[in-house]
Amino acid sequence: MKKISIILTTLAILACFCSAALAGEPQDRLKSGIDKVIAILSDPAMKGPAKRAERQDKLRTVADGFFDWRELSRRAAAEGWKKFTPKQQDDFVTSFSELLQKTYVRKLEKYNNEKVNYLGEQIADNQAFLKTQVAMKDKTIPINYVMIKHDQWMVYDVVVEGVSLVKNYRTQFAKILSRETPDTLIQRIKDKIAALDAGKNVDDVAS
Amino acid sequence: MHRLTRVLLATVALTLLSCVVALAATAPTGPASLAEKPATNMLLAYGDVDIWDETGQIIKKPANGDKLTKSDIAAQTPDPLEGWNRMWFGFNDKLYFWALKPVAQGYGAVIPERPRIWVGNFFHNLMFPVRFVSLMLQGKPDAAAVETSRFIGNTAFGLGGFADVTADSKPYKPIGSTEKDLGLTFGYWGAGNGMYLVWPFIGPSSARDTVGYAGDYFLTPISYIHPWYWSIATKGYDKINEVSMRIGDYETLKEASIDPYEAVRDAYLRNRYKKIND
Repeated sequence: MKKISIILTTLAILACFCSAALAGEPQDRLKSGIDKVIAILSDPAMKGPAKRAERQDKLRTVADGFFDWRELSRRAAAEGWKKFTPKQQDDFVTSFSELLQKTYVRKLEKYNNEKVNYLGEQIADNQAFLKTQVAMKDKTIPINYVMIKHDQWMVYDVVVEGVSLVKNYRTQFAKILSRETPDTLIQRIKDKIAALDAGKNVDDVAS
Repeated sequence: MHRLTRVLLATVALTLLSCVVALAATAPTGPASLAEKPATNMLLAYGDVDIWDETGQIIKKPANGDKLTKSDIAAQTPDPLEGWNRMWFGFNDKLYFWALKPVAQGYGAVIPERPRIWVGNFFHNLMFPVRFVSLMLQGKPDAAAVETSRFIGNTAFGLGGFADVTADSKPYKPIGSTEKDLGLTFGYWGAGNGMYLVWPFIGPSSARDTVGYAGDYFLTPISYIHPWYWSIATKGYDKINEVSMRIGDYETLKEASIDPYEAVRDAYLRNRYKKIND
């Protein structure tokens, strides 16, 4: 009787370890990406305003390796995507991903040793939904990632506090596309990037 | 004693009022659900059916041509006063950049982060009546009880709420989020947003949340500070303390969006929808 209980306990403990260690492919991939970002941000050699450009370059390279910009842009443009010509589609992907990289890489700079917890994943066909939590000083922020596998697992949507990045843009783009042409939309994205590049205060950026 | 009676009376009055509102709000529309409403705005429906909604729930076979999650339906809340709302959005935007942000930055430069967290804890602890009443009205006595013990613990052993001594004590069974207000309670009962509204100083809201906000006012102890300008000043200080912890969030959203007004509207409605179900 005692032996059986020992065996059972051992098995139970092993099962615990295995389930912890056996995170699926999408989570491993997401984690390696987030770890790379954290490594860059906490590297003492990369700190300080002098290294800013180099640091942001590195972060963008990592982001390019983990975000499926085309999938993300296609879903954000939604019904509008079909009305784009192939050239407009390419243009749209390039400028939209540039805008996202510019603004959110800047946001990452605020990183202050917050810990990322992985709360689990669901996989269906070639898509995966991952739940994570970032522990801030005074609260935790739930961040979910949606990934898709074409060649390898790539992130195409980020849901922060119940707000989907793709859907937030879909709302904006749908509104603009209902009144204006695809070219105007792309031009507006480019104008926004130019305004940010010119170092304009966010206060002045057209509302 | 006098103040306590007033808070109690306010609670009773609110319960009655909210019942009426909930009835009025649910009767014509009914709770939003995936299958009921067809996609009115076809631009929002898109080619790919999502497998999961925003919380990771598997979307169960959406009806033909209906590809909206409940969160999408919340985000489609009508905005008939768009021009008016945009005006106040611009006003709040300037208020943030010209007044709130500089003051909060100065305050944050003088007061280190840790005391600011304590102040945040204090005000959060003080808002206990809002959370308690909302949880009770949502029929969640477990969560209300946990919230009460947190309040007592933090008030008695956390220097009146400055220290969050109960943060690490987890209840025996999961109780969901206790961060509730009356607007979320009406939503929990099935009331829709009605329409989107932007208020000066307060920010994005909806018809439902406005009624909830008015109710929350009476459940907020700070509202009873006499004379009224000290009440306003205290609320202003709470706001500045909070903003000093969040500088950069609004800037990023505004920088990254093509139409900041729409981005904030969408984010507000979806975030509120999530909080209802947390």
